Amino acid sequence: MEQFVFFGGKGGVGKTTVSCAYGYKCANAGLRTLVVSTDPAHSVSDVFDQSFGDDPAPVEGVDGLDAMEIDPDDEVQRHLSEIREGLSEQVSAAMVNEINRQLEMSHGTPGAYEAALFDAFVGVMREEGEPYDRVVFDTAPTGSTLRLLGLPEFLGDWIDRLMYKRKQSIDLFEKAAIGDMEARRMMEGDPVLARLEDRKEFFEFAGEALREDAAFFLVLNPDQLSVNETERAIEAFADRDLAVRGLVANKLTPEPDDDEEGRGARYLREKVATERERIGQVEEGFDPPLLAAIESRTREVRGDLLEEVATELDVDPAPPERA
Amino acid sequence: MTVADRIAAFRAALEEWLRGLYHGMITHPAYEKIEKEAEDAEDAFMLACFPDAFGIPSPVSYYTAELLPYLEDEFEAWERRLWDRDSLIERKGQQYHF
Repeated sequence: MEQFVFFGGKGGVGKTTVSCAYGYKCANAGLRTLVVSTDPAHSVSDVFDQSFGDDPAPVEGVDGLDAMEIDPDDEVQRHLSEIREGLSEQVSAAMVNEINRQLEMSHGTPGAYEAALFDAFVGVMREEGEPYDRVVFDTAPTGSTLRLLGLPEFLGDWIDRLMYKRKQSIDLFEKAAIGDMEARRMMEGDPVLARLEDRKEFFEFAGEALREDAAFFLVLNPDQLSVNETERAIEAFADRDLAVRGLVANKLTPEPDDDEEGRGARYLREKVATERERIGQVEEGFDPPLLAAIESRTREVRGDLLEEVATELDVDPAPPERA
Repeated sequence: MTVADRIAAFRAALEEWLRGLYHGMITHPAYEKIEKEAEDAEDAFMLACFPDAFGIPSPVSYYTAELLPYLEDEFEAWERRLWDRDSLIERKGQQYHF
């Protein structure tokens, strides 16, 4: 079993509930588990009724379970101020404003949020996740998660091209230095190349970790929209050479007792029938197996209810085989 | 001054002239050409790093922003070259001193 487990799916299907229940189950099975949420709405805090920050903190009442929440906006700000620090150390006062403008521009682009999220993910996989047997990621809704998972390859290529260009220009500068003239740029000890190299390694690590040590689960609801989206997501994962390990159906309508005949019971019976159909569609039509079907609760899932949901969740938390 | 001395002085002067001529005709233009080419390559690199300076969003500008503290000289020179760059022909033509 892999160290990193991702739960994805359409918005509002209950990814957080399922991830928390799964984390709970893993912890109960004796695994050191960390639940990571990247949802700025802080729903993991709601499930455990306890607030979490961007450092892992133990969940009260559950042994071996820690949780943390990453706020991408904070990450963007942190990144920005980190660079600013470097700026004031390296750059002359005259240029700081000029460069600052460029800096702010680059952190205002649409990709910045995703890049920050990606950085945070990989940072957790690399550092915070180290002491844990299992790290459960409660991801953002499908679309952006998929883009996120496609990033390592895409950005890796881009960085390669940048490095190539940089090397080319330095090489020319070195050639332009005739005799004992000093070259304007030197290949050796070039900080820009070093930074790019770092980034390249970072993306390589991410790509490898996602391919080798990660398992993906999709959460869905028994309605057509959700089923359709799941189908598309499975295809998109396959396109990226990542396999979806299993599906979890959430928010199933409970069936009324046979002797009930009221309007509510009829409504429920009809609803259950439609949902059966959707679930059948999922079981037969989709390649990844349907691992669990979780009934809808009247209350929000938290505390003791979490335990119930965890029992229904038939995802095997077998201990990872670690070398 | 003996004839030998005069010949030696003449040869020294000639050597200097020849060296100067060689430098002026061969090495210096070559050096200039290569350096211009290097600048062009650097411009391409800067443009790939910071296309958002021209309003083109880049997926990596969040990451390339990390390079900014180290690119002070390059950034300044890049901006300067962008300001006074004429057409490509003119830039390429600058290396021939008519």
